[in-house]
Amino acid sequence: MGRDQKTTPSLQHILQQFDQCADLSRRNFPEIRVDIVYFPHLVSSKLLTDEILEPFARPQGDKIEQLLEQSQFVFQADVKKVVVGILGGSVAIFHMDQVYMLDAYGPETRSLVQSETETIITGPHDSFVESASTNLSLIRRRIKSSHLKVIRCSVGEISKTDVYILYIKGIANLEYVEELQKRIQRIEIDAINEGAMLSQFIEDNPNSVFPQFLTTERPDAAESKLEGGKIITIIDNSPTAISAPASFFEFFSSPDDYYQRWALGTALRLLRYSALLITIIFTAMYVSITTYHYEMIPEALLRTLAESRTRVPFPPVYEALLMETMIELLREAGARLPTKIGQTIGIVGGIVIGQAAVQAGLTSNILIIAVASSAIASFVIPSYMMSASIRLVRFGLIILAGIWGNMGLSMGVALLIIHLSSLTSLGSSYLSPVAPMKGTDWKDVFIRAPFALLKTRPSQTRTPNTIRQKMRK
Amino acid sequence: MAEKLTPFHITILVYMTQSGIIIFTLPRQLAEYFGTNGWLFMVPCFVISSLNIYLISLVYHMGKGRSIFLILEQSISKVVLYPLYIGLSSVWLIFGCMIGKKYVLLFQMISFPTTNPMIFKLAIDLLALLLLTKGIYTISKATTVFFWVTIWMYLLLLGFIPNFQWVRLTPFIFKEGHDMVRGGLDIYTAFLGYELSLLYLPYMDHKKKSMRGVYAGNTILSVAYISFAFICFGFFSLGQLKKLLYPLLDLLAFIQLPFVERLENLLYGFFLFLILVTVVMYWWAAAESVQRILPRANISILCSILVGISFVVSYIPTTLDQVNTWIMYLSYAATGIAFGLPLLLVVLLLVQRKRRNSYA
Repeated sequence: MGRDQKTTPSLQHILQQFDQCADLSRRNFPEIRVDIVYFPHLVSSKLLTDEILEPFARPQGDKIEQLLEQSQFVFQADVKKVVVGILGGSVAIFHMDQVYMLDAYGPETRSLVQSETETIITGPHDSFVESASTNLSLIRRRIKSSHLKVIRCSVGEISKTDVYILYIKGIANLEYVEELQKRIQRIEIDAINEGAMLSQFIEDNPNSVFPQFLTTERPDAAESKLEGGKIITIIDNSPTAISAPASFFEFFSSPDDYYQRWALGTALRLLRYSALLITIIFTAMYVSITTYHYEMIPEALLRTLAESRTRVPFPPVYEALLMETMIELLREAGARLPTKIGQTIGIVGGIVIGQAAVQAGLTSNILIIAVASSAIASFVIPSYMMSASIRLVRFGLIILAGIWGNMGLSMGVALLIIHLSSLTSLGSSYLSPVAPMKGTDWKDVFIRAPFALLKTRPSQTRTPNTIRQKMRK
Repeated sequence: MAEKLTPFHITILVYMTQSGIIIFTLPRQLAEYFGTNGWLFMVPCFVISSLNIYLISLVYHMGKGRSIFLILEQSISKVVLYPLYIGLSSVWLIFGCMIGKKYVLLFQMISFPTTNPMIFKLAIDLLALLLLTKGIYTISKATTVFFWVTIWMYLLLLGFIPNFQWVRLTPFIFKEGHDMVRGGLDIYTAFLGYELSLLYLPYMDHKKKSMRGVYAGNTILSVAYISFAFICFGFFSLGQLKKLLYPLLDLLAFIQLPFVERLENLLYGFFLFLILVTVVMYWWAAAESVQRILPRANISILCSILVGISFVVSYIPTTLDQVNTWIMYLSYAATGIAFGLPLLLVVLLLVQRKRRNSYA
């Protein structure tokens, strides 16, 4: 009885902390004077049964003390840590006046499925899920090296989200690791819900439209970044890993490029850069030419263009903005709706944009081609974040082209280049390896050279170990 | 890690600062002043500019990479230097400003004859200011991108080779020209821009052979100018070339693709990048000089004031002719600075060395 009274205050204190938490579970083993407190949905039921329920259910007198001396039961005297432990999926075991913790974290998680935002044709199809431990395992099973180091931090005053910084010792630059850790520890917010959200807190220029850290859902991409000397950050409850430092050009490569023959990989890279150009300037060029520079159209094409625009009552800039907005509406609706309804939206949108708008005299046929090409081209860019940013920038260029024609377009591009030049990622140039120029990196940026030529790691990482391949042929 | 300008970036910066508005008129000026085979005059220009760069490299080596302002201030009183700094910055500021204004007036003439050119000027000035306030390293990064965005245009020259005729070059050299001395001075201004490398000295990576970057930049520009002028002399006849106001635009207008023609309209926009870098670099040099007088001034505010002043000044000349006259006089002053300033610095460094030896 006396013993019970001694354990009660501590137990009471914890129960008081979790007052009105209906999902908290408390079980009592009176024979051995043990109380356990835990959240059933956070702990693995198998672990709970094997480590606690079964051994504790068969009372063996005073052997309970011996049982609790096993290494999986950690003595804990700090009440705060007990609370944090329970919230983190541990089982708090109250015996006599002492508290032991058993880490039994094992909530239900989504199974490993294919990434929806970064699909590839060849190569591994698994992707990160919302469990950080699963994500860590996906990387650990790929990099079987003790040099793969993991730093654990906690972010969010209320959410206390676990954040893991991964790097390969001897390959990653430790200055970057320290800088990243410092930035993560500086965050003061109630909760962080997603990796992409975290990246906005640690970016060099959070007001820029461009993402300064690469985010990926693919473990093979994360692995190759780590091996290239980059740092990966994994956030619990998020399938998005952050790779830092990042370069603007990195957003145009896909793991696929390395799985295909180098000639195909190179062609794909070049295609993506063409897509970037088309996305940015195609519609703006249409606006510029049809507003101010009709003389640029060859005579044979001029008639078709003029006929196509005869019924359109608006200046080209309004026409283009209208259609671009329509495409964005369709895209957004398609992204939010369930797949089956999304398809309907696609068909309806296709008819509205493709036929009805032209027949009603709201737009010209050629604009439809320009808008559609530029929308399709934007989806060729592998990173959704970058693709969305570029689509937004396009609106600015269309407006500038509508005001000053080709000169407006040039000014817009100049502004874009100036902005990109001023951006940094973890303090390194965002335009690396173009500015500062590192010609040796170009063969893995603009093209995907044969593996025999890809001998060094990207210079942006300032890695102490530059050589990644020593094969002669 | 403190960033440094690598030789490659110096090459690009020098080349991009040098290539400017004069390229639009260069073949005509060569034809007018030097007549037949006028393009050959670019060769002595290249040699002279290289000699001038040699003077600058002397300053770099003798001064051990010190800033020119430090060298000047070590020997000359600030009472004398401040007016010199104001003079330097005024020339550089207004020279940059007039280059911008000329580009705007040309553009207005081609595409927007009824629009007030000062609106375009304001937009370009704001772009330049935005880049200027970011500092020399960001300027160098942006310049590298602008370089890659524009350098491919020289490949277009290959398209004119089928229409190139050797007979148009004639076997005569420098016949039917006039006023060659003045013409030589005018044309030499096409090479200006390398003199600003005097101000890069403290930003250079002293472990690398940075001065080679300046020579390389000047060489790239010379090769580009010579090949461009050479093609023009073989593409147009001499009489034609003398009459064309802007031969570059006529050359570009010749290009026809199946889906687009009159490319000069589009390519003129690309020249904005070259002009922007030239303007920004001259303004940066002006800001560096003024900063020596006002070392505690906030760089963004200082740049904004300088750009504001230059914008007001650009209201004064209103026609292309007036702007050309301003540019002519300012380019004479800039040429004087290009030769005079490194000479002065070399003399000062010799005096300083002698004084040091006598103390030792």
